[in-house]
Amino acid sequence: MTPLTLAAASQSPKVHLTAQTRIIAAVLALFFMGLVLELIRRDKLQERFSVVWFVAGLGMLIGAAFPGLLTLVADAMGVRDTNVALFSIVLLFLLGLALNFSVTMSRQAAQITRLAQERALEGAREQAGSAENGGEPKRERLES
Amino acid sequence: MRTLVFIPAWNEEDSVVAVIGGVRERLPEADVLVVDDGSGDATAERARAAGALVASLPFNQGLGAALQTGYLHALREGYEFCAHLDADGQHPPAEVARLLEEVYADRADLVIGSRYREPGKAESDDYKPTLSRRIGTGVFRFFLTLATRQRFTDTTSGMRAANRRVMALFSERYSPDFAEIESLQLAVREGLRVEEVPVRMLERAGGTSFLTPLRSAFFIFKGMIVLLVGQFRPRHVGAGER
Repeated sequence: MTPLTLAAASQSPKVHLTAQTRIIAAVLALFFMGLVLELIRRDKLQERFSVVWFVAGLGMLIGAAFPGLLTLVADAMGVRDTNVALFSIVLLFLLGLALNFSVTMSRQAAQITRLAQERALEGAREQAGSAENGGEPKRERLES
Repeated sequence: MRTLVFIPAWNEEDSVVAVIGGVRERLPEADVLVVDDGSGDATAERARAAGALVASLPFNQGLGAALQTGYLHALREGYEFCAHLDADGQHPPAEVARLLEEVYADRADLVIGSRYREPGKAESDDYKPTLSRRIGTGVFRFFLTLATRQRFTDTTSGMRAANRRVMALFSERYSPDFAEIESLQLAVREGLRVEEVPVRMLERAGGTSFLTPLRSAFFIFKGMIVLLVGQFRPRHVGAGER
């Protein structure tokens, strides 16, 4: 090892956050969780999709309260720079979430297709039925 | 022997009536269903006026979903055999009748009408594909043959005939956006007998192909991924029994 890398390694990686930054981060986290809650309240977000966002908000809050924790995480990952640890964790989290949404979308697309097909075939059956009854579907519908 | 001929149609008001008439003439014993894939024009009305049964999808779902609707109808209404052809007039109904002969005789479960099976023969010469289509056809032919270990020449043909085994399979599993090619791979993997029959196809009566060079390249790329993934799909055991 060169003296330079040794010097860098001995420099203990600490997270330096001023009280002001921490307060802003905490407020942002709380605001984010409040937003999620409000979206649920207005029926714009279903509860089952909200859990992951609450966890994310909680993570932000914890990070603001105990910035030292990030050092532990970075150490556990074997990363010297806490910023790299933070960004890679967030990136992986978002990547996983995006993939999860694609899976959900695929399932819903298949469901929508089947629903459309069922409706189309129902229409065809109605047409076949009305043809047998003398071709007056509208009157039939009124009577029933 | 009950047969359903279904015609997937998306904005084909100019040609659909003639196609229905042709099928009626050549296959008088068959019932005709037009699957209207969310057309914005008078396709459904004209087809109904021409005496066909019409299943209208509430919005455009793509060819795969439209074809699956036809297979689903055939399966549920208890048809023994079914066939489908394009609504744009490229597929002569007389050739569909020849495909149906193959499944009637139980020589295959699924029969594909191929434009390219025997080039040089008079019946293949009417069809002149564009360059990008020829490249795409070549690529898909190669990879599908590799994947299925069975020779296919016309992988994207929309003229097919099938029996109930195929209906059962396709009504459950049919790729929505890569229907033609993946369905062949699926059928072979499930142990069904798939056969190609040379047919004559006509130039499209109106409209242009949706394939521009860039789209073709994307189409080919997507097709290769679909085929690759298809090789790793789990097999259904029940569908292949006979």
